[in-house]
Amino acid sequence: MIRTLIIAVILTFGTISIVKPSETYAFSGQVIERGAFGDDVIELQARLQYLGFYNGRIDGKFGYGTYWALRNFQQQYGLTVDGVAGKSTKDKLANNSDFDKEWVHTQINAGNEFTYYGGKPLDQQVKTNNGTAKKGASNSASVQLPVKYSERDLQLMANAVYGESRGEPYEGQVAVAAVILNRLESPDFPNSISEIIFQPGAFTAVADGQIWLTPNERAKEAVLDAMNGWDPTENALYYFNPKTATSKWIWSRPQIKQIGEHIFCY
Amino acid sequence: MKNLVYLMAIAILALGLYSYDTKAENASLQKTLHAQYTNSLAGASEKLSNLQDSVSQSLLFQDEAALNNELDNIWRVSNELRSDISSLPLTREVSNDWIRYIGNIGEEAKLTAETGDYKSWQKKMSVVNSNLNALSDEWTVATSIYFDQDGDFSKWERVAGLEPDESPFKNISANLKNYSETDFPLTASESDYKKKIELKHIEDEEITKDQAIDVLEMLLPGIKDATYTVTQSKKDAAYPFYHIQFVKGSRVGYADITVKGGHILSFLSERPVQEKKGVTQEEIRKLAKQFLERAGYKDLEIVEERENHEAWHISLARVVDVGEEKAYVYPDGIQLKVSKDSGELLGLNAMEYIQKEQIKEQPVKPIDWKTFFRPGAVVEEERMAYTENDQFMLRLCYEVIVRMDNKSNDTFRIVVDTDTHEVVKVENLM
Repeated sequence: MIRTLIIAVILTFGTISIVKPSETYAFSGQVIERGAFGDDVIELQARLQYLGFYNGRIDGKFGYGTYWALRNFQQQYGLTVDGVAGKSTKDKLANNSDFDKEWVHTQINAGNEFTYYGGKPLDQQVKTNNGTAKKGASNSASVQLPVKYSERDLQLMANAVYGESRGEPYEGQVAVAAVILNRLESPDFPNSISEIIFQPGAFTAVADGQIWLTPNERAKEAVLDAMNGWDPTENALYYFNPKTATSKWIWSRPQIKQIGEHIFCY
Repeated sequence: MKNLVYLMAIAILALGLYSYDTKAENASLQKTLHAQYTNSLAGASEKLSNLQDSVSQSLLFQDEAALNNELDNIWRVSNELRSDISSLPLTREVSNDWIRYIGNIGEEAKLTAETGDYKSWQKKMSVVNSNLNALSDEWTVATSIYFDQDGDFSKWERVAGLEPDESPFKNISANLKNYSETDFPLTASESDYKKKIELKHIEDEEITKDQAIDVLEMLLPGIKDATYTVTQSKKDAAYPFYHIQFVKGSRVGYADITVKGGHILSFLSERPVQEKKGVTQEEIRKLAKQFLERAGYKDLEIVEERENHEAWHISLARVVDVGEEKAYVYPDGIQLKVSKDSGELLGLNAMEYIQKEQIKEQPVKPIDWKTFFRPGAVVEEERMAYTENDQFMLRLCYEVIVRMDNKSNDTFRIVVDTDTHEVVKVENLM
């Protein structure tokens, strides 16, 4: 009787351990879809690249490159082809690939150029930046933007917003970013964000050098909101501080609203 | 005593050396800047002359190839000239007026090359040509003062910093304004920017400050009983609105609500957000839909979702029926910002949705994508969408997602007019 019981217990645990999928991955429980961003996407891209399906940058952004790679993987491995990484897809990926989380994140944080193909030594897949990029810069600076803007635009605008309005409320910082973008749409101003920011006399922060201060995350978030469509100025093209403005012309512009220390106008 | 004198002499010498070094450095920087500005000024003058030549030469030809060559030239030179002008330390007014006028000439050339409407070009440009000649003469007079400053940057700076009514560009500025209005009058659908200002045409009933707060609390029950500061827009604003600033716990934010009709224009709330996800993408989508239902936005669908460190940005577009199919009206969009940690709505932008676009009938002519694209380009998704073309006119278009069947799977969003089959937009989605 005891022997039978022991055999039954062994068989039960044995069966469970065989049936239970191997969960050796670091994926969270979330379903990963197009538009997603973060560590889950980094793992997804790395595993897809390990198997040769993904040839793009491992950057944690689930764009079309990752989407097609995932669909191709699902098709080849007999899964439902929907470009969505649910549990079955993640399990299949984990069972067929390897993911060295520490190594991949180290490369991303160091700003290195690297790939993660299976069957090739990792040290042969990395080009170090020789200290030219700030450590950790690539990970925190990396964001998903509307297609018409680049991360260079975000960085430049964040510098301008921080230099011009770091003491203002968040709304006021989004407003300064929105003025730059309104100028980009206006036929009265240059056609690029850098030309608008560096137009002589356009921004005080350029004249007094404060544009070169390192912007904080709040300034970057404010630029991100403006790039995504927010405009607390209601279409302003100019702003000025009434306490310090000396130009007669700026006072002649039609005014819209005041946010913090700045009056915004057409 | 002797030592003190000795030390003071060393200190004075060091200070003198430092001062000399700083002065020399400043002088060197001024010379570099002076040279750079003079170079830009000379470059702009030369390009203005080239533009003037090309515009007058374009009036010579009937031959299509010769004319198109000049149109290309005009478009290129006008872009370069705009860039040169923007890098000069001119007064804001002069700079803006120049950039607009030159840009109009370039845009007109581009449009003519696309449409082949050469008669209209020649009719319009004969006037522009003579106005451009007059402006060019005035520019030569106005800029001559900048070349006569004996290398003294402070004089250069002083002239550049003059107010518009004392500036050597005073005449140019006045003429540019007149010529812009007569040579390039605004079209009805000039720009999205104008459309926003047209919100002044809203004729709904006015609401009070308290009613504006009620509107906000109805849309965002989470901020009920916050501390509010309500001000009204300045008198010059194109449309009056209430500017509501609120504080509730760690939340600080604002909302703009129109005085006429109480339409919410935008709202943003700032609070500390945990980067760790508390809700799934699917839940975020459900929360967004719940908000839309509560706000009465019934004709919108999600067209794009983007996750970042703290929040999701979600774009929605109005959907209309076109025959048996549906089409997205992109200029009538709404954007939402939803926190990753709890799914709380952190922002809403509905400015473009308030005044809906007028949809006009438009023929839908089928396209054979196999002949439209090269072999290897795979059309993965296709739908209909209304979008603005280069002339800011709302057009019904095919919107296709095309993938190149190569190693990197390059993906593009291509928007093609359903009637003219003109390619309105191409975006690289990688």
